[in-house]
Parts: sequence; C-alpha cells; structure tokens
Amino acid sequence: MSSDVVLVIVVASALAFDFTNGFHDTANAIATSISTRALSPRAAVLLSAALNFAGAFISLKVAATVATGIVDADAITTTIVFGGLIGAIAWNLATWWFGLPSSSSHALIGGMIGSALVAKGPDVINGAGVVEKVIIPALLAPTLAFAAAGLTILITYRVVGRQRPGVVNRGYRHGQLVTASLFSLAHGTNDAQKTMGIITLALIAHGNLPANSFDVPTWVVASSASAIALGTYIGGWRIIRTMGSRIIKMDPAQGFAAQGSGAAVVLTASHLGFPLSTTHVISGGIMGAGAAKRVSAVRWGVAGNIVTAWILTLPCAAVIGGLAYGLTAVFGDQAIGVILVTLMVLGLLIAAFGSRVRRGPAITGAGARA
Amino acid sequence: MLAKIEWNKIGELVWVAPLAAFAVAVCFSLVIFGLSRAGEARRGGASGSAAAFTGLTAVAGAAFAAIVVLGVIVIAKK
Repeated sequence: MSSDVVLVIVVASALAFDFTNGFHDTANAIATSISTRALSPRAAVLLSAALNFAGAFISLKVAATVATGIVDADAITTTIVFGGLIGAIAWNLATWWFGLPSSSSHALIGGMIGSALVAKGPDVINGAGVVEKVIIPALLAPTLAFAAAGLTILITYRVVGRQRPGVVNRGYRHGQLVTASLFSLAHGTNDAQKTMGIITLALIAHGNLPANSFDVPTWVVASSASAIALGTYIGGWRIIRTMGSRIIKMDPAQGFAAQGSGAAVVLTASHLGFPLSTTHVISGGIMGAGAAKRVSAVRWGVAGNIVTAWILTLPCAAVIGGLAYGLTAVFGDQAIGVILVTLMVLGLLIAAFGSRVRRGPAITGAGARA
Repeated sequence: MLAKIEWNKIGELVWVAPLAAFAVAVCFSLVIFGLSRAGEARRGGASGSAAAFTGLTAVAGAAFAAIVVLGVIVIAKK
C-alpha cells in the first residue's frame, strides 16, 4: 500500500516535471518566431503545443536512452526517481524565475544522478553514459548550432542581400512557420520521452513492468504528451523574452537561420538517440546567427549568464535531488517521507508564486506582445 | 571509459547537422531570391527571365519541402 502511494506520487511528479519541461522550453521553439513577428504569441504557443503533443507519439528511442544509459536501472527505486524529479523540477523553476534558458534534460539527469548517488553510491552511475550522452552532446550541441547558424546566416545574406527587404522579411517569416513547426515536433519527440523514460523506470522499479524489457505503456505516452503540450501552451514568457530579444535583436533571416539550424542539429541528434538539449541548441543557434552578422550584436553578458546556468544545471539539480532523496530516506521505506517532501515543495511553490502574484505579472503573453 | 563512447555517431552528428542546416538555408534562400527576381522581371516585362526565376523558385521550394519531409521521416522511422 505504502509503495503504491509512492508510485502514484512519483508518476504525478514526473508529469509535473513534464509540464515544467514544456513550460520552460516553449521558448526554444517559438521565441524567435515571436520576436520577428512571424507568429503572434498565442498562435505560436498553440502551434508549438499541438506539435509537441504529436511529436511525443512519434518515437520512443530517446525514452529508452534516458532511462538506461545514465543510471543502473536495476539499482533504481521509486524513491530515487522521486528525488531526481524534485531536483529537476526545482532547478527548472529556479531558472525560469530568473528568465534563464537551461536544459531540462540535464536537470533531470542531474537530479537522478544526485538521488542515486546518495542512495546507492557511485557504482550505480554509468560514467561512460554520462560522458557520452550528457557531457559530449552538451559541448557539441551549442557549438554545432552556433557554427551552423553562423554559416546559414552568411549564406542567407549572400543569396538575398540585394533583394527588396519587404519580400525577404516576409519570405523568412513564412519560413519560420515551417522551422518553428519542425523544432516543436523535434522537441516533443526528444523531451516528452524523458518523462516516459522516468515513469517507465519507476514502474520497473515498482515491479509493474519486467526489468529486462523497456516497453513504454500507452497511457504513459498519452499522459506525457498531454503534460508537455499543456506546459508549452501555458508558455514560459520570461524565457521567451530572454531568447527572443535579450540575446540579440534579430531580423527574420536570423530567426530562420537559428531555428533552421537548431532543427537540423536536434533532428540529427534525435536520429542518433542522444538526449540532446533543445535549449543548448537554439541558444547556440541564436548566438551564432547574431555573431556571424556582427560579433558585438550579441549581448555577451546575457549569453554568459545563460552558459553559467548550463554549467550549474547538472550539479545543482544533483545536489537538490540528493537532498530530496536524503530527506525522504530519513523516514525509511514509508510513504510519509515522500509525502512530506512533496508537501514541502508544494508549500515553497505556493509561497514563490504567491509572492509573484502580489508583485504583479513580470512578463506575460501580453507583455511579450508589447 | 572513452573506448565505450560511440565516436562514429558523434562524428556523424558533427558533419550531418551543419550539412542539413546548409541545405535548408540554401534552398529556402533560393526560393526567396527566385520569387523576388521573378516579380521584378514580370514588372520589367521580361517574361523569359520571369519564367526562369519562377522555375528556380519551384525547384528550390521542392528541395526545401523534401528536406522538411526527410526530417519528419527521420523522427518517424526511429
């Protein structure tokens, strides 16, 4: 009975993480489209939410990778999964609060590593998996996107540089509808699967699914797709503002270059089964599209803050995940520990959002339109 | 630890991703270029040039559409 309660809370936490993932990463797919006025904010979030939902159903390859490549699946318990999710949710909300685009993938992986480390020690962490599936893609993704977007914008300006600006801007705005759609689809394919992987891992740990296979149940796919789509539709406007207008002031060609390159990098990585961060990719793409036009066009202070958040994501989420697990473990195997940590997190969230509501909206959909 | 890493996949990522970005940029930019020049040619009464640039637009547009479809297939076939 007690373990059933824990499983229910873990599944709910995983879906809550999925919601924050969509909410946090809305900017990745649509910030450039909103910034260049290719789409209205509402139309952009609606389009992105629908395609995130669809994307979640397309492939399950990354789900298997997230669950089996980083932490030893046999050592995982539902309480470890819970600690990891708390670490990821807390870091996602903290970075959203400061309007910083950070990787939800790394927050989740960091949370899981911290929680598993405290619970079982370093032996359950797959070091090669962390290097291959986290550190190398984390270095490659923004670098590749930066270079690809830089190359793309130079080609773009070379081909259309002497044409009438009205035709060119209209054309690239239309192009952004396609690239934003592709990016949203890729995001749904990559990111909803992380939650599917985590829920499936919890079900295996609880004994609901056999440990020797990794079949994701249909209800897990449907609920994960719905949670990420809902989060995307609500929209993380603080991060949209950072990505859309605080890194560079972009024209439609730059928006197209950043999104098109980002989609190319994410789709290639998705094809290879890497848990790649769409945040790293699109941020690198935006910086590349700006820097190739003029190095000083990029606000490097903002870019530096973003990169700092990236570096801190895995260790900070790991520390929070480890603390959450440690606090839960004080109460042994009983559900009371998980329930208490959940109540504490909910209390902190209510306090934080209550404080924000009293101070008035910081950045909203209406604010983004202005 | 490093021996376990699938370097061939990483190598593939390094060259395929920029190539795909390059192809997307060239094709779509040619669509806009062709549209713009075809419009100018039509306004200038050069129907032959207008037809040629319209053809360029159609070819580049078809290539761009093919790349997008390929991207969706890449996701769907996994």
